[in-house]
Amino acid sequence: MRLGNLSVAAAMTAAAVALAPSAHADADTDFADELHGYGIYGQRDYNAWLAKITCRRLGNELDSSAEKSAEFLSHNLPRGTSTAQTWQFLAAAIGTYCDDLMPMLAAVAESNH
Amino acid sequence: MNRPRCARSAPKCPDLRAGIAILTGVFAATVFPATAAADATDDYPIPHRMIVTTCTAEQILTAARDFAPIYYERYIVDKHNKSPAVQQAAIDNVHYFYSLSLADRRAYSAEMVTNFADPMTASWPNWAKIFFNNKGVAAKETDHCADYPPDDQSVWD
Repeated sequence: MRLGNLSVAAAMTAAAVALAPSAHADADTDFADELHGYGIYGQRDYNAWLAKITCRRLGNELDSSAEKSAEFLSHNLPRGTSTAQTWQFLAAAIGTYCDDLMPMLAAVAESNH
Repeated sequence: MNRPRCARSAPKCPDLRAGIAILTGVFAATVFPATAAADATDDYPIPHRMIVTTCTAEQILTAARDFAPIYYERYIVDKHNKSPAVQQAAIDNVHYFYSLSLADRRAYSAEMVTNFADPMTASWPNWAKIFFNNKGVAAKETDHCADYPPDDQSVWD
């Protein structure tokens, strides 16, 4: 009986491990899906690469604040992208590719309160 | 009264001659454009904006970093895949180009069209890609390059 329970538990763990990758198959796809929710389209690879560059610039302080990142993005997102969409892109980029930099985004929100 | 049709065998037939002349012209235009494309133009192979700019190579690269970031990243990654000697030669070649006068840059552009034996191009075909290959990128770079410091060598890294 105990062995049976163990087998069930093992099978469930194995299934969870096996199925987990399909839930988060690719960060770039998740990122693209999130952008679509904001009405931001364009090439998936371009957007993902731009997001990773944004993270790197923020991480190495080439862009010293989230405002600077948003300015960088505003130059490189398609014409017609709104200010709100630029910030949504930035938040999604940080959330997907450089979560550790989230405090820089939070600092902007706090300074506006 | 109907206009008489020109017989093919007629010795003098203006309509037919005109038709043949037009056809010959169309044929020649179809066959020979490749020859014409081998000449340098105002934008080929080096965009006009790059010939007339007063920016340094570093200013242009910095503008690319901020306004054409993916193009810039590809170029820098490509550069880092070359040997140190080739990388330095590319930097030297770019510095040389931007040190030239306007007339000499034009001459350089004309020379570039036909000089396939250039050793720099042989060792790294895309050594000047970020400067010369894309008119849209060249436009972004030259629109903003003057806003940056002229000798920040870190943009090559």
